[in-house]
Amino acid sequence: MTLRGVSAVMSVEWSKLAAQIKTRTVLAACVASPFVFAVAMRVQSNVPTDTLFGRAVTESGVAVPLVVLGFAALWVFPIVASIVGGDVFAAEDRYGTWPTLLMRSRTRADIFAGKVLAALAFSVLAIVLLAASSVAAGVLVIGRQPLIDLSGVLRPPGPVLVRVALAWASVLPSAAGFTALAVLASVATRSSAAGIGLPVVAALTMQLYAMVDGPELIRRSLITSGFGAWHGLLAEPSYYAPIAHAAIVSGLYLVVCLTIAYRMLQHRDIGG
Amino acid sequence: MTLLALEAVGVSKRYGDRDVLRGVDLVVRPGELHGLLGPNGAGKTTLMRVLLGLVGRDAGTVHLLGHRVEPTDRHMPDGVAGFVETPGFYPYLSGRKNLALLARLDGDRCPARVDEVLDQVGLSAQADALAGAYSAGMRQRLGLAAALLRSPRLLFLDEPTSSLDPAGARDVRALARRLADSGTAVVLSSHDMAEVEELCSTLTFIHHGHVIVSGTLDGVRMLAPSRVHALHTSDDRAALDLARHRPDITAVLAAGGGLEIFAGVDALDEYVISLGCTGIAVRTLESRTRSLESLFLQIAGNNGAGEIDTLKAELADREPVPAVMS
Repeated sequence: MTLRGVSAVMSVEWSKLAAQIKTRTVLAACVASPFVFAVAMRVQSNVPTDTLFGRAVTESGVAVPLVVLGFAALWVFPIVASIVGGDVFAAEDRYGTWPTLLMRSRTRADIFAGKVLAALAFSVLAIVLLAASSVAAGVLVIGRQPLIDLSGVLRPPGPVLVRVALAWASVLPSAAGFTALAVLASVATRSSAAGIGLPVVAALTMQLYAMVDGPELIRRSLITSGFGAWHGLLAEPSYYAPIAHAAIVSGLYLVVCLTIAYRMLQHRDIGG
Repeated sequence: MTLLALEAVGVSKRYGDRDVLRGVDLVVRPGELHGLLGPNGAGKTTLMRVLLGLVGRDAGTVHLLGHRVEPTDRHMPDGVAGFVETPGFYPYLSGRKNLALLARLDGDRCPARVDEVLDQVGLSAQADALAGAYSAGMRQRLGLAAALLRSPRLLFLDEPTSSLDPAGARDVRALARRLADSGTAVVLSSHDMAEVEELCSTLTFIHHGHVIVSGTLDGVRMLAPSRVHALHTSDDRAALDLARHRPDITAVLAAGGGLEIFAGVDALDEYVISLGCTGIAVRTLESRTRSLESLFLQIAGNNGAGEIDTLKAELADREPVPAVMS
């Protein structure tokens, strides 16, 4: 594997992603949906009271990205993290392009690494766009008012926005873990539907498990726990252990899933 | 000493309990157009996949352009290119964009080269159409263009004219000939005997994963049965069954109906008499000339492991013997 080879593959994958309507639609939705949400909150009297910071959404614009973050953890992050990761390998099977791709001057290791990095980069880009758009929508549509944090302390909007940025950053490892899960599903099943669908089903199952009273060891090994680990950032005093724990769990998912997927691809007979 | 473009020795591949390739040897020199022949399922495409690194091999050694390819080395050496079956492309990109991305994978970002190969395969006019709208023939041309992007010195073409119209097939044959004339070794898998006889200077027959015979075109052609007869009867199936009980006769169903009979005069006489005795009427019986097709049909008609060994031995004994036997 060489840096030149990996970057060549990554650049090709980005060109392919940029040409696909699916990926452009997802990115456009990440930009537009927070504005739709913020406008909807502003023009109606009901607020999402069952969501963290939902009650504050019409009183402080900086609450909007936190409400979107809480909502996105349920469905959006697993889907966004899987939409490219779950398709990036299986699409080659769907189009019959593996031989075309492998008969170039790149090793399978280059191709694997380039594709995985492209998928991870897409997941990060989508989440960053969603975060930036949520902040912009909250500030522009609702306003830049102080926010009462989870401990009941009124905080000025500037420091809260820093915490908001950290909160969004804290979900990136878990999103990367889901991307790795999607890559594994994509390589193993050779099906885009399974590559995208299985991680989403896994996310739903994990979130349902988190609601029941199961063994703590399993609960602590759930990758979805990272999507709620940011709560400690909006408390006084702040606590970071859940974020660190979620990063470790996500790292393990990443290593295990990608190692298995790489070995499967490396030993696979194409069209045999 | 001239470096061999391709040297494969004892290449074997097994899927589960099925041997797909059994100790295949293949040698191709620079500038040679080498035909790979055999019935469906003979192992030609699998052999190409193994040589191109798409499929791992269980045994054997492979050298491509002097570069030893290890069984775990799934990496295409520079100067080697080709396609297997109908090549696949990204349907949401134009033909030109597909090639540009493939060139980028090879480290070549020169758009002029893409235009050059599109022109070589006669696809310039359709280059900006989406590849998803291409016909199978256009995809074959695009596959050839993708291979040419690598400036190949060893080119593998798996039935490159199977989806082309006669004019397209003629253009591709001419291109293959030009490449060989310029020193590129071309390995061509085909079912079209006329195409192989027109293009190839050397060839290899594969059947059930075995190399049955390999050598120069003229040499292999001389191994074709000298006495081939086309036979039409009132019941070809029954006539075929009867022939199978006679060790001195090989009979196969011909593609256009009737049977191809490979036998000496005495054996043929006895066989025709036996047809009459069993109530099968002979409608026509005509002698055919020695050809690759008759050899192909004879090889294709031998399916058991024992029959293949017998056939190899028989071909080895047949005079003259100018070809390299596996």
